[in-house]
Amino acid sequence: MTAITADTPVNETHGHDEHHDVGFIKKYLWTYDHKMIGLQYLWTALAFLFIGGALALGVRWQLGFPGAAVPIIGNMLPTTVAVDGSIIPGGYNMLVTMHATVMVFFVVMPLLIGAFGNYLIPLQIGAGDMAFPLLNELSYWLYVLSGVILMAAFFVPGGAPGTGWTAYAPLSAVAAYNGTPLGQGLWGIAIFINGLSSIAGATNYVTTIVNMRAPGMKMFRMPLPVWSLFITAILLILAVPVLSAAAAMLFADLNLGTSFFKPQGGGQPLLWQHLFWFFGHPEVYIMILPAMGLTSEILAVFSRKPIFGYKAMVYAMIAIGFLGFIVWGHHMFVSGMNLTLSAAFSVSTMVIAVPSAIKTFNWMGTIWRGSIEFTTAMCFALAFVSMFVIGGLSGIFMASTPVDLFVHHTYFIVAHFHYVLFGGSIFAIFGAIYFWFPKMFGCMLGETLGKWHFFLTLVFFNLTFFPMHNLGLGGMMRRIADPTVYDHLRQLQPLNQLCTIGAMGLGLTTFVFLWNVISSLRNGKKAPKNPWNANTLEWTVASPPGHGNFPVTPVVYHGPYEYSVPGIEKDFLMQTEKAPEGAQLESH
Amino acid sequence: MSTAALTHDSQEHHGAPAATCKFGMIIFLISEAMLFAGLLGGYVVLRISLNGFPWQAGHAWPPSADIPHLPVFLTSINTVFLLASSFTFHFSEVAVNKGKSGLGWLAVTIFLGSLFVGLQCYEWTHLYHEGLWFDTGGIYGSSFFLITGFHGLHVAIGVALILWCFLRQVFTKCFTPSNHIALQNVALYWHFVDVVWICVLTLLYYV
Repeated sequence: MTAITADTPVNETHGHDEHHDVGFIKKYLWTYDHKMIGLQYLWTALAFLFIGGALALGVRWQLGFPGAAVPIIGNMLPTTVAVDGSIIPGGYNMLVTMHATVMVFFVVMPLLIGAFGNYLIPLQIGAGDMAFPLLNELSYWLYVLSGVILMAAFFVPGGAPGTGWTAYAPLSAVAAYNGTPLGQGLWGIAIFINGLSSIAGATNYVTTIVNMRAPGMKMFRMPLPVWSLFITAILLILAVPVLSAAAAMLFADLNLGTSFFKPQGGGQPLLWQHLFWFFGHPEVYIMILPAMGLTSEILAVFSRKPIFGYKAMVYAMIAIGFLGFIVWGHHMFVSGMNLTLSAAFSVSTMVIAVPSAIKTFNWMGTIWRGSIEFTTAMCFALAFVSMFVIGGLSGIFMASTPVDLFVHHTYFIVAHFHYVLFGGSIFAIFGAIYFWFPKMFGCMLGETLGKWHFFLTLVFFNLTFFPMHNLGLGGMMRRIADPTVYDHLRQLQPLNQLCTIGAMGLGLTTFVFLWNVISSLRNGKKAPKNPWNANTLEWTVASPPGHGNFPVTPVVYHGPYEYSVPGIEKDFLMQTEKAPEGAQLESH
Repeated sequence: MSTAALTHDSQEHHGAPAATCKFGMIIFLISEAMLFAGLLGGYVVLRISLNGFPWQAGHAWPPSADIPHLPVFLTSINTVFLLASSFTFHFSEVAVNKGKSGLGWLAVTIFLGSLFVGLQCYEWTHLYHEGLWFDTGGIYGSSFFLITGFHGLHVAIGVALILWCFLRQVFTKCFTPSNHIALQNVALYWHFVDVVWICVLTLLYYV
């Protein structure tokens, strides 16, 4: 951290930590530095990625080889999950529930929003830190606390919750129905605390972006990752508290004998679904918008072209965010819904295809005739676009009520949301890790292993999830522990085994990534300030940036995507550089 | 959530300007509003589906005769205390703005806030002895106790925050006319809790 040999410090309070050793705890565990908090989120969420992945492998093992003893770890599993090494039906439900909860709340959200949000927002808008550093660190520790509480559910009497990540009432609300009141209660507490963490983080992001931009950094000069995180934070502010309210009601139903979701006391199971999906659908965009923002950045940099339709990209994200609040009913077409209402939800859902298509075509416009560099980050970004299109198109099937009635409770929907959540969000996360790793750690993340990681992930991902479309249309229901007990599913069993083999490959591939990270950290190529010749502000400072980020407050002269500008010799123009006479800039 | 405290502390560490702190508090309060919107919205939906709108024939709330009524009169008096506390808090801000300590009005605010929490506790125990609790009276009891519980918790946290402001002012005299953002943020929170109470009161007690 030699960058802070400042001519003029950003302000006096910054940089003071440079001059003395702050000690392990203050540096790594209780820090106010947004960059370290971002890395805390990154490592913790990656650890959860392995936990969530292991849970998924348990699920896939049982579906591919029902009743067969789980290899190696079978006998170590808790008795609520497996008996004599074989997964029992109740245990299967727990694995599914915990896999989904972990992946949504403890992997994808913390990686996109916690890790990249924290790391990139201040750096890309030219701020020294977040507006409220203490709140920021508190948000991280609330996240950790909620994770510990969720994991504890495996070890309480009755075991982990088995009602799915959607925790539909009355199954989730009545102890006698679900048999896991303690685990379900812990799930509710974990979701509530995780919500506090999200709200704390989102409050910080919105405040920081609105109030702390560097001179010249107009809203329409912000890089798209910042825009996407800004919109995401607003969605979090509005959607997460509703889930918290629902989780509190559920917890009260389970433990205090209230009857919000119990028909006996005048409550309504359907109310849970409305509250849950009022949160749950914006949540879908909370998990994809930042991925879109990160991908846009990577595509522009490695195509050496301005992002196609910058403002259209921003407006499309705003439109997606807004529409996200009026489509929740499409999750409930099969729950018994008024047909007029379901038609309305159907239409509003299909409208989302418009801004999504704008984004997709703009991505294609961005790479069209660009000088594409196939770095690992770029490969992941390109794969993001392709996989997102597959997942997006299958989403339109579900938007149509008559089609949805047939596919809703099948593996078709499992294929759909894994194409957007894994093929979309996780691919974007991997791409972003390859892209910003040099900035975060001061060394490049290995390209050779990176390419292996990418190709294996792409192949095994499609091997795992593409056949699920066929399984679903073939009639395989969701949330069944043993497909072979159904006559009509027996002939599909080879497909199930194919998915399982793909999933195992995917699991092993993650270790390629892990090995790449470890070996790069130990002896990776040292990263210069701006290894990708990118324009945004984080590349103007050392890798990694010092405390306080910018030795001198940067001044921004134009938008972030001035690549291959006619009239300029080099093919990029950093936001802090004034354009020479005669250069034809895209932005103002 | 003691965000007021947090924003203030962080302000001491990194000097976020007052306007930024206030902006952050407002964003946080919007999310708080959504929490209560979820709770109250759920209650309204449940109640309408069970018993129809108040102006419809056959509407009865509480839904059956053996469920005790809420002490509307006592709570109305209590509401006066809570609303008054918003004014006294405002007076203390005005006093600080004029360069005075504002301690007197803060003390009155703490007293009124505590009185509100105390009377709410009394109401809870009273209803409990009458036979109304979380698990009796169906959604009538469920909604009443969960929603007033959430709101009461917010008031209690508010009282704690005002007490914290009070003690800081006593010991460090930190609130000056030019800088009392912590006080302003706690005030924002306190007024917000008041507004929420009006909604709770209207929907749970009066309608």
